[in-house]
Amino acid sequence: MKKIFLLIIFISTSIVAQQRYTISGIVTDASSGETLYGASVFIENTTIGVLTNEYGFYSISAPKGTCTLVVSYLGYANVVQQFDLNTDKKLAIELKENSTQLNEVLITSSDSEEMSISKPQMSVLKLSAATLKQVSSVMGEVDILKTILLLPGVTNNGEGSTGFNVRGGAVDQNLVLLDEAIIYNTSHVFGFFSVFNSDAIKDLKLYKGGIPARFGGRVSSVLDVRQKDGNSKQFKMSGGIGTISSRLAIEAPLFNGQGSFIVAGRASYVNLFLDAFNKDYGVGFYDLNLKGNYSLNDNNKLFLSGYFGRDNMVFSDSFNNSYGNLSGNLRWNHIFNDKLFSNLSLIYSKYDYELGIDIFEFDWISSIENFNVKYDFRYYINDAVKLNFGASSISYNFNPGEIFPTSGTSSVNYFKLDQKRAFESGVYASVEQKISQNFSVEYGLRWSYFNRQGGQSVANYVNGMPVVYNEKLGIYETGEIESETDYAKDESIANYNNFEPRLAVAYELNNSSSVKAGYSRTAQYLHLLSNTTNVTPLDVWTPSGKFIKPQLSNQYSVGYYKNFKGELFSLEVEAYYKDVANRIDYIDGADLIGNNYIEGEILNGQSRAYGLEFLLRKTVGKFTGWFAYTLSKTEQKTLGGKAGGLGINDGNWYNSSYDRVHDLSITGSFNLNEKWSFGTNFVFQTGRPVTYPNAQYVYEGLSIASYTPRNSNRLPVYNRLDISATYVPNKKPDNRWKGEWVFGIYNVYNRKNAAAISFGQNLESSVNEATRTAIFGIVPSVTYNFNF
Amino acid sequence: MSKLLKYSLLLFYVLLTSCTDVVDVDVPMATPKLVVEASIDWELGTMGNRQTIYLSLSTSYFENNKQNIVTGASVKITNNSTNQVFVFEDQNNGAYTTNSFRPVVNQSYSLEIIYNNDIYTATETLMPVVPIDFVSQSKNQGFNKDALEVNVLFTDPAQIENFYLIKFTSERILLPALFDISDEFTDGNQMNVFYESEDFEVGDAVNIALYGISKQYYNYIRLLIEQSSEGGPFSTIPAQLKGNCINTTNPAANAFGYFRLTQVSKVPYVFK
Repeated sequence: MKKIFLLIIFISTSIVAQQRYTISGIVTDASSGETLYGASVFIENTTIGVLTNEYGFYSISAPKGTCTLVVSYLGYANVVQQFDLNTDKKLAIELKENSTQLNEVLITSSDSEEMSISKPQMSVLKLSAATLKQVSSVMGEVDILKTILLLPGVTNNGEGSTGFNVRGGAVDQNLVLLDEAIIYNTSHVFGFFSVFNSDAIKDLKLYKGGIPARFGGRVSSVLDVRQKDGNSKQFKMSGGIGTISSRLAIEAPLFNGQGSFIVAGRASYVNLFLDAFNKDYGVGFYDLNLKGNYSLNDNNKLFLSGYFGRDNMVFSDSFNNSYGNLSGNLRWNHIFNDKLFSNLSLIYSKYDYELGIDIFEFDWISSIENFNVKYDFRYYINDAVKLNFGASSISYNFNPGEIFPTSGTSSVNYFKLDQKRAFESGVYASVEQKISQNFSVEYGLRWSYFNRQGGQSVANYVNGMPVVYNEKLGIYETGEIESETDYAKDESIANYNNFEPRLAVAYELNNSSSVKAGYSRTAQYLHLLSNTTNVTPLDVWTPSGKFIKPQLSNQYSVGYYKNFKGELFSLEVEAYYKDVANRIDYIDGADLIGNNYIEGEILNGQSRAYGLEFLLRKTVGKFTGWFAYTLSKTEQKTLGGKAGGLGINDGNWYNSSYDRVHDLSITGSFNLNEKWSFGTNFVFQTGRPVTYPNAQYVYEGLSIASYTPRNSNRLPVYNRLDISATYVPNKKPDNRWKGEWVFGIYNVYNRKNAAAISFGQNLESSVNEATRTAIFGIVPSVTYNFNF
Repeated sequence: MSKLLKYSLLLFYVLLTSCTDVVDVDVPMATPKLVVEASIDWELGTMGNRQTIYLSLSTSYFENNKQNIVTGASVKITNNSTNQVFVFEDQNNGAYTTNSFRPVVNQSYSLEIIYNNDIYTATETLMPVVPIDFVSQSKNQGFNKDALEVNVLFTDPAQIENFYLIKFTSERILLPALFDISDEFTDGNQMNVFYESEDFEVGDAVNIALYGISKQYYNYIRLLIEQSSEGGPFSTIPAQLKGNCINTTNPAANAFGYFRLTQVSKVPYVFK
């Protein structure tokens, strides 16, 4: 920490003093008043430039005299302003959407064309509202998670899986933030939809590596999603009516344009998969996004945002099942002066899972909730140096499970698992610095602290071993509990702290190409307990503590970036290597649900991932799209350690469940004319690792399968083609109502991609057979989208 | 308990069953190993002297002739307190029998099998069971309101950790149905287990057997039941089941199956 500050002082004093003035302000969209994140603000014919921050704020300093300020943002017309600079200047800038170049840009994987080559930040993918709208929506609505899955380094376990995997990371290793609030489950209906309603989303950034120091708590990636602020110029309504779900969003100015709000709702038709069954079954979801903001004055702005989403599943009178995220955030933007921007956030988020099993007369609930305070500063020291610093604290409450009998005759007793508490804190500072014309660096340090708080008892095991290898039977078993230690609420069960250095460098080879390299060390104190082939909504989060250590990761990456043919095409090639220490895996037959002694089911292991990613994009013209290919490997190794024995799979490296050797995506969009545009996606992936039987035997009148070592086989290759067409009926220029029809076909050639293959006996013939679950065949959809 | 909770996932899987089909898959083939089905079950109210142990070899997964019987092995059980030895005679059909077994509750026994010059051993304790209180039938309960189910009630002894295996067999249904039960969340309560099938008709006979089992065997049978009944994208990653029959000559080639000793409460039931 000290080192960094010393360095900063050194830097700031080494800059030659010169008469300079600061220009600062907010960049917004002219029609909606939405602030724009990542807009480029620079002084023409100089290297002085900056990108707007999350709240549209910029600050640059320029020498005295005439200067020409150019502000640009993808999909928007440039604004050029010339003025005589002889005092510090506040300048709010409005950009107009570039309507003549519809569909021009689908996605940008860097901040903006002018800056991407030279900025040290690498391995980041960014989508803005404008570009989101243009991504083909084969399932009837734009889904941001489905879109990022088409990019290199991002995969999931196929249809019917919750969450996503980044560069060989597990689902729980992604920090997913919606307006800074942690989202614990990103999927509706087991992954058929994401929890993000694109009508309410302004932009998102996915950091696959080179995670900036202001983020902490997860080792694999950060998905930073920001909600719209709401239109501050006029009332606006938008929505869509589709065959699978429908949506409606309303936004309007408040207090004479001093503020605005947005309310967006979305719901699926309750009985989504009902048709083939009788009326007793139902699956569905809904969600609601809310946000309001109010400018107290030029230097102070308040934001209040919230999200509530819920999934429901009903199975006659026997089961009812519901789960969802709830989050809220109150923010205060304060501009101390034209060089120092700050944001203070108070955040709450919760994920809970409820299950009622009427036939067994009990209810089950589990949840995780956190309160979070964050204070972030950005100090625009000078043209060459920007400093980010801040601190955050999170208080967690875990309810791993609680069972309530629902009738007097229930055979189940009331039971509550130990409630867990934890406190996580972090302070950070990072510097973005332009060392020379061609060379930029971003370096930072985060210090994180984690305290597993008392208020529960913790088991003490014989010989301190929660898991014991049974030498005779060759299996891992839960250890014997000797006694329990009670920890009072003000006592600490365990605490950890870690220094997490982050470094990124960029060297501009010439105007159109650059090389970058990055290193990041990250610590993760929470773990999602899951030993099923796919993560499920039922899975429970658990904090690090006496037995489960924090995951620690190092990631190294290098990349080459080039724009060619007059910026018509761009190429990005990145290579990465990542290792994670203390990655837990589960002993065979581990029972994780309703278990107070999770430590008796796990072994501490490690994981490693490496890969090569290619992304070739065409971002301009009637035809746009990209070609993405990833070659990668993800493995785990879990030794017996203190428990004894060789470990899982005899202590050898084995494939992680989300290892995909080849991952290819091709996405294209063709803008035929004002009325018609077409889109297509093609995906081809190595099948995911699975465990197949290698023998059978008869026991208790049943054929019992014996299995190979964990994850040593693979599902068949996954591939699919989607197409979509968008039709915009005749526009009447004076009519505010604008509508469009979107026709989509998912999985055009109706390939039955295996989500799973299970082995068992046919109930009629008793013959062994392999059963494939292929969740989606061909799915056509029609949606009518409108806004006015 | 966790199994009940997993039903919620299973339910979703049920919704997806229209998306399943049977496919051809190439699976690896392991070297055949000895399979020991040494289930010494002492039915309440009997002497428990007649016992059978079955030996076979494992086969490739899609082999239709599942039972590859083993003859010529020597099989014996020893009472670990009295050192009384019970020799099981080879019936040359994979079965090894004795008429002189003496079951004692909570008594530890050892099994020894010699086959192909390899010696396999196992040790287990004979676990007691409570009698079944009551058996009834119903139609409008359970998962399906139109299907018959048989309800089995028994009372778990309080303050003791108990594990049960319950087995239903019926001529109507080809495969036996097994359920593993722990009293972790139901200690001391009267427990109700039901077995339902759309195929049941009035007049069908169902045989019910409630076994008292050891914790070690519970861990084994729980995984066995889970792996032979689950499937789909939300199932646990399967693993090779490891029983308690150890090959002392070649530890890398332990036998499949289990040496268990239980008390069993059996009730036949006919749907009315």
